Amino acid sequence: MALANETLAAIRYGYGLRPGEPMPGDAAGLLAQVAEGPTRRARFPREGIAGRRETATRIISLRTAEAKAAREGKPNEDIRKQTQREMQRIYWQDAMARLAQAVHSPLGFYERLASFWTDHFSTSALKSLPMRMVVPLYEAEAIRPNIGGSFSRLLTASILHPAMLIYLDQDQNTGVDPATAQKAGRGLNENLGRALLEFHTLGAGSSYTQSDVRAAALILTGLSVDNRALQVVYRPRFAEGGAITLLGRDYDGDEGEGQDHVLMLEDLAAKPKTAEHICRKLVAHFIADDPPEDLVAPMVAAWARSQGNLTEVYRAMLTHPRAWAEPGQKIKQPFEFVASGFRSLGLPESNFATLLRDMDTVDVEEGPVDKAMKMAGDVAGQMTGQSAGPMGLPTDDEVKRRSGRASSLTLGALQRMGQPIWQPPSPAGFPDKADLWLSPDQLTERISWSRMVAKSFGQKMEPSQFLEAALADAAGPDTRQIISQAPNRLHGITMVLASPEFNRR
Amino acid sequence: MAASERVLLSRRGFLAGACCAAAAPVMTPVTFAAMPGDNRFVTIILRGAMDGLDLVQPYGDPGYAALRPKLGLTPDGGLFDLDGFFGLNPAAAALMPLWQAQELSFVHAVSTAYRNQRSHFDGQDILETGGSDKSMKTGWLNRALGVIPQSGARTAIDINTSMDLILTGPNKVASWSSQSDFALAEDEIAFLERLYAHDAPFAQALEEARTADQSADTLYSDGIADMARLAGGMLRGDYRIASFSINGWDTHVGQQAQFRKAAGDLSTAIFTLKEALGEDAWRKTAVLAMTEFGRTAGENDTDGTDHGTGSLAVLAGGVIGGGKVMGRWPGLREDQLLDQRDLMPTGDVREIAAAILYRQFGVSPDNLTAKIFPGLSFDKSSQYLRG
Repeated sequence: MALANETLAAIRYGYGLRPGEPMPGDAAGLLAQVAEGPTRRARFPREGIAGRRETATRIISLRTAEAKAAREGKPNEDIRKQTQREMQRIYWQDAMARLAQAVHSPLGFYERLASFWTDHFSTSALKSLPMRMVVPLYEAEAIRPNIGGSFSRLLTASILHPAMLIYLDQDQNTGVDPATAQKAGRGLNENLGRALLEFHTLGAGSSYTQSDVRAAALILTGLSVDNRALQVVYRPRFAEGGAITLLGRDYDGDEGEGQDHVLMLEDLAAKPKTAEHICRKLVAHFIADDPPEDLVAPMVAAWARSQGNLTEVYRAMLTHPRAWAEPGQKIKQPFEFVASGFRSLGLPESNFATLLRDMDTVDVEEGPVDKAMKMAGDVAGQMTGQSAGPMGLPTDDEVKRRSGRASSLTLGALQRMGQPIWQPPSPAGFPDKADLWLSPDQLTERISWSRMVAKSFGQKMEPSQFLEAALADAAGPDTRQIISQAPNRLHGITMVLASPEFNRR
Repeated sequence: MAASERVLLSRRGFLAGACCAAAAPVMTPVTFAAMPGDNRFVTIILRGAMDGLDLVQPYGDPGYAALRPKLGLTPDGGLFDLDGFFGLNPAAAALMPLWQAQELSFVHAVSTAYRNQRSHFDGQDILETGGSDKSMKTGWLNRALGVIPQSGARTAIDINTSMDLILTGPNKVASWSSQSDFALAEDEIAFLERLYAHDAPFAQALEEARTADQSADTLYSDGIADMARLAGGMLRGDYRIASFSINGWDTHVGQQAQFRKAAGDLSTAIFTLKEALGEDAWRKTAVLAMTEFGRTAGENDTDGTDHGTGSLAVLAGGVIGGGKVMGRWPGLREDQLLDQRDLMPTGDVREIAAAILYRQFGVSPDNLTAKIFPGLSFDKSSQYLRG
């Protein structure tokens, strides 16, 4: 099946077709998106990067002070609960904004790359409550500005961000000589060193050893986070002294300068193994589980020629004929599936504001009744003062129902499908093999979601027209015929979203 | 009298019992005025084109057995005889007590104005818009809310996660979900199987999902009773009009099993509604179950039937004076069929709905023919009001 390049680009390199949004049909157009991406403000963190730093440091300080008071026998339960709620809420508002970003940004390839790299340099909002606020900040300030530049810069920005250091317990990682360890009350923690070699750079199975992991961890000692200021700091007194050898180079401790870890990151970024690992992973993500060597080789060559300039690496991929052939080998990951589903509907962005408002029941349980009434909208208004029958449901239930529906369409769906936003299962990120995203459970969830979307947004749509908007020439003749014969509109719309063509890319 | 000319309309007429019998005194105009807004109306949309010839089988028609060699039943073969000519499919056996209590009736050979043009989705919409073509955009039940004289009778509810077309429009309607209306009907599963037929991994995943307990629960979870219970509960309270849908009637392939499930759902819905409404409210209730269009008179070669024209409406409730199969039977000879293919429609399903709106809520014939069902001819001499 040969697709129009624009269709293939939207599905393979973007978040799918969106009515009225032109998608480039060649490498140059896609690379232009990579260049433009960093010039646009992301929808998260919702209060912007500087704003988020203010919010986060304020809340963290408040909690630090409360924790101190608690230790002195004066706990303040209100502060603890309130800030906890605030952090949760910040997280899911940002998570909704991330979904809206994927749905509404016209720079599909840049957005897909942002997801790819955020997953490559995985951190998790589940690590701690403050991380609910810090991980969105991390993607916005460490990943997204550096997607089209040198890999070395992207690597450095990601590893040397508080989110990464917190996620991989770098604050627990201190030198092992007796004096240092005693000062810190801790010892070596290899989490970051191991992830760095195994996931971020050289790649698993690239013949590094456990002593290399240990060496990397030792070189990273001294690196820590000032939690209150949300800054990476270097604390020489916790750093391992003396020369450490990693992959043939001595990092000699440079006595307090604290630059060894930066040198190490630059060296790792320049290793041929790293180039091979990343190029292969890009192809495996965008095109096929088993990357064809004839596609990977020119990317690795472009990496070497350009000293790891990622735009050149993407160019080498996108100018290869294979980049435009044999569509549909991958299964969309849940986030891609949900984002592309929303895109195909062509809804205005205000739709997300409505869903967000419906979800916002955080204050309802303890808040004033009128807030609940307002949120429940007309239905609640109509229910006011009525003595409901035996099955009549009170207003709170209606609020919860709307909230549940909004969640089931968005964050709850992603949770159920196994890909909650900013919550990868491990430092390795989410699995990327096609067959893992096509289990019976997964398909069931996708059909249910499609049906819910059809009920919520597709009641007046003509299934065949929707098929055209969602898949254009990617829809096969059988699918076209089956959709046109659907038992009812609702199932017609449902089947468009549940079709193999819509779930493959 | 030849079967084809048989007039099945009861001499006493539709709703006659409700009007005159002591069992249902609330239908007298006096009671209407004295108890404004006490009557109820439930519409059930049978989505996917219900095969009326399968639910209420004209076993007495000489042409039936030949048209339906596999699907057709006789009283000897399990069909519940209704009146010596028609019999009820045993899949709806749960409804027989209502039939015996005269709280259940059928109107055969009815249809909307849709006649196999353009998209069949447009044809499906016409049932809910109440128009003669696709130009109407709002639902007839919603428009009816605007002209019901007793404001107390105007509160309506849609049992769905979102509004069905029939209740969509300018008048305020509550929409409630029983949280379990996501289940897939049998015909919908069959379509998914076709959709995945050429993609082996998808086909296999669906097959496994159907047999794995947890996934099967999600796909099939039986929400019909929940929906009906919710509707009944709301109508017992302050609501007077409710609507919900039952899917599963698009039986192109292997009709028998799919139809059994769908007919079972319909029985469950009506039975549960009665239960949830309680005796008093049920006595004031009319339930109308209707479908978009019928299916071919003959079976196709995949043990199913295809989209057709004339079908059947189901009436239930304490006010309907039941125990009758109404409608003018057109016959099943080839020259009596529409295009030698479909059951010939002899009645407009909108007229049944109009009769209920008139009787239950006092909506005037002028409003019924101008605002609610444009193009319908309806007046006080309607066959459904005679008696």
